[in-house]
Amino acid sequence: MDGNAVVPHPPAPETTPTLARSEWATTKSVAFGMRWIALGAVFLLPACHGLPQDPEDTLENVRTARQFRVGLVAGTPDTLELRRLLGEIERQTGARPRVAGGGSEALLTDLSEGKTDLVLGAFAKDSPWKTKVAFTPPLRSTGSGKHAIEVKAAMQNGENSWIMLVERASRKVSQSARER
Amino acid sequence: MNSSLPDELRGVMREAIRLEYWNLFWTATIIVAMGLVLGQSQTMKTAWVEDTLGVVPPIMFLIAAKMELKGRRSKKFPFGFERVNGLGFFVAAVALTAVGLLLLYNAVVALAAAEHASVGSIVLFGKDVWLGWLMIAAQLYSLVPPMLIGRKELPLAEKLNDKLLHTDALMNKANWLTGAAGLAGIIGLGLGWWWADSVAAAIISLDVISDGVKALRSSTAELVDGSPRALSSPQVSEDAQGLEDRLLEEFPSATIRLRETGRLIRAEVHGVHPPAEHRHPRQYWPKEESRAWRLAQVSFIPPAGD
Repeated sequence: MDGNAVVPHPPAPETTPTLARSEWATTKSVAFGMRWIALGAVFLLPACHGLPQDPEDTLENVRTARQFRVGLVAGTPDTLELRRLLGEIERQTGARPRVAGGGSEALLTDLSEGKTDLVLGAFAKDSPWKTKVAFTPPLRSTGSGKHAIEVKAAMQNGENSWIMLVERASRKVSQSARER
Repeated sequence: MNSSLPDELRGVMREAIRLEYWNLFWTATIIVAMGLVLGQSQTMKTAWVEDTLGVVPPIMFLIAAKMELKGRRSKKFPFGFERVNGLGFFVAAVALTAVGLLLLYNAVVALAAAEHASVGSIVLFGKDVWLGWLMIAAQLYSLVPPMLIGRKELPLAEKLNDKLLHTDALMNKANWLTGAAGLAGIIGLGLGWWWADSVAAAIISLDVISDGVKALRSSTAELVDGSPRALSSPQVSEDAQGLEDRLLEEFPSATIRLRETGRLIRAEVHGVHPPAEHRHPRQYWPKEESRAWRLAQVSFIPPAGD
């Protein structure tokens, strides 16, 4: 290895920092970005009218067919809220419910596959289905914490227009749903 | 002053510290605003994680800056803390890349599984409002502070030759791109295009990965004594190239080795004897005297056998 001779340093010469080089480029880039967002907004905003819409057209199909398919989970208490919910959806869509009973697993599987439009039942607040289907706020609940049992409706994930309609109807018929 | 930060940078450094505190404050407001309306949307989750990750570079910068400003050279740390910034840069780069990859994985899995994101409604001032509108509002809000802060950060990063600050500035400045992708994702979702959400999330995560990989390449180059890199790319910096040319002009038979310790450059001139007169390293700086502080050391290694 070579010997390393470090030269002793005399005092550093006085210097002052100068302005940076890229301020102009930055300003230009920000302006460019703003322009694109503004342009995008001009084109996209008209399309925003009528949001949200359903990928599988659930709400539209319900209105066209004038009926919606409801799965009622076996053992669900026959509550006033559930009957009022179906009535409210009927009032808002002009469609009549066609109710069929069954086990919750089978009904929720049918729902996630688009074979049913709505499932009504009593579900655990922490139900494993909560990411696979969209639940409304509870119409009625018993117990507390994540083990609470909630009577509520479930819709197919992503059918946002239909989900919003059922949520709105739930809030209208139930104090409990309004409070969530 | 016995800290590792050159004296002429102290004022600029304090200015950058103030700006980074503001940066953290505004980023926190964005994280809260986005967090309140996340829902099931993959785009929103990705954008939220990106915004949350955005606090890593300013925090690392602030830690490094405090240590550089306040830390004194000592027997245990004879060079002070000039490389803490480089370490912070590396940590920020690893965090960015890792999270970017994770977000991309999530987006691709959601796309492959054809997951349909549910975005419901909430009651606002007695009205049922689609949560997507609030997501769009939060996305629009999240665009503004980073653009303004990034614009202010960039000149400071150049004055300080600070890669951490520079990376943060570029990320902030480019935020409009991810913001636009996020907006398109939510609007697409609202239009019933279920795939728009995951595609937008994937685009945002690719941007995060790109930032991370660039930062990773630069930061590892410094840690393994590579040549000084440019602020915004893994290429050798203009400063280093100019310095090498300047040294070769005076010592044509020498081999020049340059490395970077934080914002400073250290030079080794191999195969020649040092000049007779003693000079401060800054006197070897080729141009732009205002940046001569970058050259902290010039060592001469005479030819073997002399």
